[in-house]
Amino acid sequence: MNYMPGTASLIDDIDKKHLVLLRDGRTLIGFLRSIDQFANLVFHQTVERIHVGKKFGDIPRGIFIVRGENVVLLGEIDVDKLCDNVLQQVSIEEILEEQRLQQQAKQKTEKAKKIASGHQNSDLTLDEEFYFNDSTAQDIMLTWDQALIPNTEDENMAI
Amino acid sequence: MDECGLAEMAEEDEEIDIYNNETFGMDMDTEVVDTEGDPTNPLFQFGEKPPALPALPSLSPSSPPFSPRARPQLRVQGPPGRRGRGQRGGQAMAQMFEDPAVVRTVEGRPSLQSLDSAIVDVGSVSYWDDLDPDAWMLSSYERTRHASGSVLQDPAIVCVMDSHAPGRGPNYLDSHYPFSNSSGRRGGLRGSYSNRPFGQRCPSQINTMLPSSPIVSRRPFTTQQPYNQVGGLPSPRPCPSTPQPLTPKMMQLRFGANSPRPSPFYSPSSNRVQRFRFPGPVTQLHPQHRRLLSQRQQRSQRKPDSWDPYCNLMSAKEKEWIIRLQMIQLQSENPHLDDYYYQEYYRRMEAKLAEEELGMRGKREPPKLTTPYVTKMDSYTPVVHIEGSLGQVAVSTCFSPRRAINAVAAHCPHEELKDIRQQRLDVLKKIEKLFMVLLEVEEGQRMKAQVLGEGEEKGLMEKTEIKVEYIYSQLQHPDLEAEEEFLPCLLVSKGKQLLARLLPFLSHDAALKVLSMVTSHLPVLMSRDSDESLPVLYPSLRIVIGGMTFSQLIGVLKDFTASLPDSSDGSVCLSLVCQSKFGLSLLYALLSQGERLLSSDVPLEPSIGDFETWTDTVFLVASQLSQSALVEPLLLPSNLLTLFCRYLDKRTIHQLKSNMESATGYLALPS
Repeated sequence: MNYMPGTASLIDDIDKKHLVLLRDGRTLIGFLRSIDQFANLVFHQTVERIHVGKKFGDIPRGIFIVRGENVVLLGEIDVDKLCDNVLQQVSIEEILEEQRLQQQAKQKTEKAKKIASGHQNSDLTLDEEFYFNDSTAQDIMLTWDQALIPNTEDENMAI
Repeated sequence: MDECGLAEMAEEDEEIDIYNNETFGMDMDTEVVDTEGDPTNPLFQFGEKPPALPALPSLSPSSPPFSPRARPQLRVQGPPGRRGRGQRGGQAMAQMFEDPAVVRTVEGRPSLQSLDSAIVDVGSVSYWDDLDPDAWMLSSYERTRHASGSVLQDPAIVCVMDSHAPGRGPNYLDSHYPFSNSSGRRGGLRGSYSNRPFGQRCPSQINTMLPSSPIVSRRPFTTQQPYNQVGGLPSPRPCPSTPQPLTPKMMQLRFGANSPRPSPFYSPSSNRVQRFRFPGPVTQLHPQHRRLLSQRQQRSQRKPDSWDPYCNLMSAKEKEWIIRLQMIQLQSENPHLDDYYYQEYYRRMEAKLAEEELGMRGKREPPKLTTPYVTKMDSYTPVVHIEGSLGQVAVSTCFSPRRAINAVAAHCPHEELKDIRQQRLDVLKKIEKLFMVLLEVEEGQRMKAQVLGEGEEKGLMEKTEIKVEYIYSQLQHPDLEAEEEFLPCLLVSKGKQLLARLLPFLSHDAALKVLSMVTSHLPVLMSRDSDESLPVLYPSLRIVIGGMTFSQLIGVLKDFTASLPDSSDGSVCLSLVCQSKFGLSLLYALLSQGERLLSSDVPLEPSIGDFETWTDTVFLVASQLSQSALVEPLLLPSNLLTLFCRYLDKRTIHQLKSNMESATGYLALPS
C-alpha cells in the first residue's frame, strides 16, 4: 500500500529497481528515482534489454527520462528473487545481430503475406490494411461515429 | 578532489534542509546568513569585465536593478536577518533567468539547480558555451559521480548544451524567482576546493578553480555571476504575502512560476528515512486512512535503509507535492458520489473493525466520515492550466464521459428488423438511464436527512416526486398490454434491483400495482430467473405487503392460486412457487399478513367473498405445502403455523410443520 491507499501512486516505487515497457517496444530496467504528476519517470543506471528468442542483451544507458505517456507498463523487480536460467545473456553485439536477423525474417514473411493477400502495392503494413480496408472495421468505425452524435432527446437526463 | 570532508557534507545537508524548509514553507522562520562580501568573490574577480561583456548589455537595459542589487548581495556581511529573505524574494535576479518552462542545462557542472519536470529555472548557460566539457568532467568527476550523476556524460547532452546561443536576453516570467543569498557557511568554504557542485553553490569554488580553469578566459561569466556567486540554493520564495493555509485555487496558482520548487537534484540526504507528512490542510483523509498512514509511517521509520548513494533523490517534500497534486485532483463536494469506491472501502473497513472491537471492547468507535475536501468552485474549467507547467494537469476534464461517448446509437435505420438482441439492448439502456435518476432520488433522500430550510426541502421533495414519477412511467413499456408493463425490465436482474430500490419511493397504489404485477407473472419471473436475482425484490415487497388491506391481500392471493391459461389446475403455479425461494417467501409473507390482519383488532372491511377466498386459499396452500418439498424461504414468519392450526386438522398441520422445518432446519413454531 502507498501513501494514498485506494489510489495508484508511484511514490512507493521510488528508489526501487523497475522494468518499464515503452510504447515503442523498448524494455528498460533501472532504478526509479523521480516521478511527477504526469508519471514522467527518471531512471538511474538504466539498461536497455533486448530480447530475441531466449537470448537477451543489456545495453547500459545511464539516466533516462521517460515521458509518462509513453509508458505501457511498469513493474518492480524483485532483486532478491533468483533469475531462472531460461534466458541466456549474450553480448551486445550478438544480441543486436540477432535482432537484425529477426527483423529481416519478419519483413520477409510480411512481404510474402502481402503478396498472397493481394495488397502488394500498398504502403501500409498488413495490420493497417486490416483495419482500414476490412469491411467489418468500417462498420465499427461508422458505429463509433454515430455514437458520437449527441442524442438530443436525452439532454435533460444525464446518462 | 576528495577534499570534501564529512563536515562539508554536513554543511551541505544543512543548507539543503534550510532550502527545503523555505521552499515548502514549513519553517518560515529560518534565518539565513547571507553571502559575505568578499573581494575574492567571483564577481569581483571577473569583475574586470562586467560591463564590457557582450552578454551583459542585454541584461542591463532590461534588468536595471540587477547590478545594484547584485552588489549589495555580495557585500553583505554577517548579520543574518531578514535581509536574506527579503532580498531573495522578488529580486530582479530572477529576471536573469529564462522562461522557467524551458530546459537549459549547464555544461560542465552537474546541474544541481532544481530540475523539475514541469518547471525548470536554470540560469543562462551562455558562459559555459566554450567550455571544454572534458576538462570539467575530469576535475569534477568525483563530484559528478556523487551528485546528480552522469547527465553530462552523455555526449548528446553536451552537444545540446554547446549549441545554446550565448547571451540570450533575460526574460523573466517570474519576478519572484528566488535567488538565494543563503547558505551560511560560504565564507568558511571559500578557500577549499570543496565537493560542491559548481553553479549556485560555491563561489569559493570558482575562486579556487578558476585560475586553472579554462573558464577564466570566458566572457559571459558575469551573466551567471549573480546567480552563482550568491551560491546556495535558489530558494524560491513563495509570494511573501501568501497567507497560510492555502486554498486549492491558490495551490493551483502556486504550481506555476510562483510555486515552491522541489529541492535540488542532489540530495545527500541527511534524511535517510523519508519523513512523510500528511498532505496538508488542503485535503482531508478518511480517518481510517489517516490511521493507516500513521501506522505505516511508524513502521517505515523503524526500518533501516540499506545504503544507496542515490537514494532519496526525491525529497519528501517533492513526494508530498505530488501527493498533494493528486489529492487536489480528487477533491469533490460530493465524495460519496465522485469517489465512491474509496469512501465505501474505508467505510466498510471501519465497520469491520468496529465490529471486531465491539466484540472485544464492547465500545464502538463512531464511524465518522470526514466531510468532503473543499468546496468546489462553481465554474467548471474544462482545461486546467498551471502556469509554467509543460502541459495540462492530469485532471479529469470530463464529468460525463457517457454523454460524450453516448453509447446510445443513433436511430437504427431499419426499425422493423429489431431483433431480440436489440430489444434487450434497449431495455438495458433504459434501465441504466433510470438507475441514474434513481441514484439522484436516493441522494435527495439522503440530503433530506440533513437540515434543510423549509423552501429547500419542499423543492427537493417536488423534484424527487417528479423523478420517481418519471422512472415509474418509463418502466411501463408503452408497447405492451397493461398487464405486462414492467415485465421487460423485470426480466433483467438490474431491472429487479431498480424496482426494488424504487419501491420505497412509490405511492401505495403504485406499489400495489407492482406487487400484483409481480405475483401475476410469478411463473414467468421464476422460470426466467436464471441468476437468482429475484430475492432482491423481497424486502421491498414485504414492506408493501405489510401495508396492505385485507381486500387488497385477497386480490393478490387470487393471482397466486390462479390457474394458468393452459393448465388444468391452480396447483401448477403453487408447486412452482414451492421450488422458488422468492415465490415461497412471498407466499409466506402474504399469508402472514393475512393472519396478522385477522388476528388484530383492526376492522377489516372485507369485500364480499373475501373470507371464502381466504379460507380456500389457505386450504389450497396448506395442502400444497404439505405435499411438495419446500425450499428454504428467505424469511419464515412466525405466525404461519398459528394460521394453519386454526383451519386445518392435526395431521395436515403435522405434515406441514415437518415439511417446513425440514426446509428451514429449525422449528417453525414451538408446538
